Amino acid sequence: MSNNKIDILSVVASKLGNRVQIQPGYLSTGTIIAQNGLHRNVLKTMIDADEKTGITAITGLDFGENLGVYYHVHTSNAFVTIKAEVPKDNPKIQTIIDLHPGAVFHELEVADLLGVVFEGHPTSGHFVLSENWPDGVYPLRKNVKANEVKLVPTPKSEEITLPENERLVKIIIGPQHPALLEPEKFAVTVDGEIVTKVEPRIGYVHRGIEKATESRTYLQDVYLVERICGICNSIHAAGFVECVEKIAKIEVPPRAKYLRVIALELNRLHSHLLTLGHAGLEIGYETLFQYFWRDREPIMDLIELTSGNRVYSSLMTIGGVRRDIKDTDIPKIKTTLKDLRGKLPFYRQVYENEPSLKLRMKNVGVLKRADALKLSVVGPVARGSGVDVDVRKDEPYEAYAEIPFKEIVYTTGDTWARMNVRMDEVEESINIIEYAIDNLPSGQFRIITPRSVPAGEAVNRVEAPRGELFYYVRSNGTDMPDRVKVRTPTFANIPAFLKTAIGESIADVPANFVSLDPCFSCTDR
Amino acid sequence: MIDFTLIFRILVFPGFTFIVLLTLFCDWVERKIEARIQNRVGPMVAGPAGILQPLADFIKLLTKEDIEPRDAKKTIFKFAPLLAFTIMIFALFFLPVDGTNIFSTGGFSGDLIVILAFSTIANFLLFLAGWASCNPYGTIGSARVLTQFLGYDIPLFLIALTPAFIAGSLSIAAISAYQASHLLPFIVLAPWAFVLFLIAIQAELEKDPFDVPHSESELVGGLETEFTGAKLAFLHLTRDVQIVFGSALVVELFLGGPNGPVFFGIPWFWYTLWFVLKLLAVVLISEYITTVFARFRIDQVLSGNWRILLPAALLSLMLTVALVTWVYPLVV
Repeated sequence: MSNNKIDILSVVASKLGNRVQIQPGYLSTGTIIAQNGLHRNVLKTMIDADEKTGITAITGLDFGENLGVYYHVHTSNAFVTIKAEVPKDNPKIQTIIDLHPGAVFHELEVADLLGVVFEGHPTSGHFVLSENWPDGVYPLRKNVKANEVKLVPTPKSEEITLPENERLVKIIIGPQHPALLEPEKFAVTVDGEIVTKVEPRIGYVHRGIEKATESRTYLQDVYLVERICGICNSIHAAGFVECVEKIAKIEVPPRAKYLRVIALELNRLHSHLLTLGHAGLEIGYETLFQYFWRDREPIMDLIELTSGNRVYSSLMTIGGVRRDIKDTDIPKIKTTLKDLRGKLPFYRQVYENEPSLKLRMKNVGVLKRADALKLSVVGPVARGSGVDVDVRKDEPYEAYAEIPFKEIVYTTGDTWARMNVRMDEVEESINIIEYAIDNLPSGQFRIITPRSVPAGEAVNRVEAPRGELFYYVRSNGTDMPDRVKVRTPTFANIPAFLKTAIGESIADVPANFVSLDPCFSCTDR
Repeated sequence: MIDFTLIFRILVFPGFTFIVLLTLFCDWVERKIEARIQNRVGPMVAGPAGILQPLADFIKLLTKEDIEPRDAKKTIFKFAPLLAFTIMIFALFFLPVDGTNIFSTGGFSGDLIVILAFSTIANFLLFLAGWASCNPYGTIGSARVLTQFLGYDIPLFLIALTPAFIAGSLSIAAISAYQASHLLPFIVLAPWAFVLFLIAIQAELEKDPFDVPHSESELVGGLETEFTGAKLAFLHLTRDVQIVFGSALVVELFLGGPNGPVFFGIPWFWYTLWFVLKLLAVVLISEYITTVFARFRIDQVLSGNWRILLPAALLSLMLTVALVTWVYPLVV
């Protein structure tokens, strides 16, 4: 791949060097300060130079006089932050969705939470906040106190606009619906059985965790961000503590790095097994669901054995992990993993050979590689479409650089491919855990760190079970963070669903949707 | 003069009470089989090994609040579930359970067609029930019921004619008696038709992999979405009676009906026993199919019918006619 050789910063420097300020090495690969609408030019240059360029997240910040808008951009081999600022009394900035459609949701969120106006963005209105939130109050601005917000009466539910064509029927999937385990609304317009339009509405479980972190200490925040997602809780805690460690320049002991990898991979194991079974439920294959969840249970036991808790492991802490793995526990971990490995060929056979399952999953929800790149999808969804993005390989964190494992990529881009990516990753996760246990370094597993964190900022990307998870932490030198931004994988993957559902049967919606492994409490935060 | 035997036969055995109890028992067997295949335990609290669970569920639903949606077409919404249940029970009256049918007769020529028509009417009433609830999920669910049973009724009728052709009669009692007198159930004489009939019945009963009208991940409760309380209880019971009816039809047409060896004592006890045992065997097969397959999509279900099952049913009928004319006279 020739792309890997592109030095994206020098490309930008050669084209726009005199108009933007480039800080190489600051915040991952580098930072580009691009004021007065130049962020569009920088992004355009980067997209032209590297097809894998995409928006990971857009962070909005409140600097008092100004609002900061940070575009976190990933390319095939680099991670760049484009910084722009707009005055608070006239917070207008040009949209970038014409350059990169994957940024639609990110812009809506920043607009809703910070009041930045993205000129040229087609939709408006609340996206994350509830309908009874007052207009003009932007919760992430520093002057807004959560307990002083006066909620307005909930507006009457809008008249259901009947589609003009009588053949069309509008089906509301959610907020309560058996296909969704969590509340989120998708208004699906169907023509007979064919989906013609999908309108999402998220935010039903928005808990304001980003705002809440600002009034808690770093140590409290570790456990707060862990609660963003019940299934992938360790990875959230890991993403946050690594960010803080980057700002405070704390070097984590090697044993802690391996212990973290073990915890994260156990997390991935149970998350993938959950999804593989849940997919069975969505296509009416209850037996598959029961079998997968039966075999997921021993993994939950391992999580309890290694962390003390079955679901919220609360293992990560700043400077290491809170519990060591006892030598006496290692045989149990190994036999459990061996048992699971022994069952995998059977499951693989079911996914590969079972005719009714293939009928429901093959060629369903096909996401082409070009679309996957354009929409910046992450994780197994991207890898199922032939895009080889895996933060564990691209920008190794913890001990992943030292552990050999395969990056699973399928090229067909359908639901079946996405599920098989997970199936293969289960095996890779077992390999990783076994390697990590065999090569566990000795020494201490945590170091004591000061409560306060020096002023600074850091970005961090980790590979959650559902895909790339992004953290941005900004510190002001106290023991509480100034801003914490979380971009969860499902947030990035929902556009893929909106794209692939159209033109397919309504019966394919659940199968297609579950193949994203959606997690709405993550999405809403 | 009041015929007390007939009243007893209609109300108690082998009529209403027996059918309802058999239905609840079959429901329990189904749930137990499904649970064991899926590595679960299934119902186990109400009664020994949970055998009273279906009854408990039924009574619980009867006690629940009965809600009618404002927009529902009240009359149809109220009576369609009850009527469907009644018709299904009535259809079962024509099946010889303890040797003869409920009227202590050998039925009449053509009652096979009548009960197949009854089951179609019951399905149509279920469709009306869902349609009258004026709920998008209910509407789509019942539209699917309609498309599915309209499609699968044709091969079902065609395949049901296979045993009729061999026995030379359209009377169910005559068909099962033919199998008994020749000591040859039609599963041996026409195994291909048995397999096809099982598939068609599976689709008629809307069981996996054909349960698209009930796919809860797309349609919530399908046509049942707006039903609560007693109406829902009767919808569920109708569905279970349909399953018993379908299985009983397989027993009558292909497994020799209630006929079997009578060892001692009263014959009707043995007939009923053979009937129930054969019925449970069919339920076992059908439940096994349900558990090992994923649900098809509605278009796959329909194209499977028109492209595969209907031609196969026609071929099966032609094969049967040929065999009955030239081959079976030599064998039987």
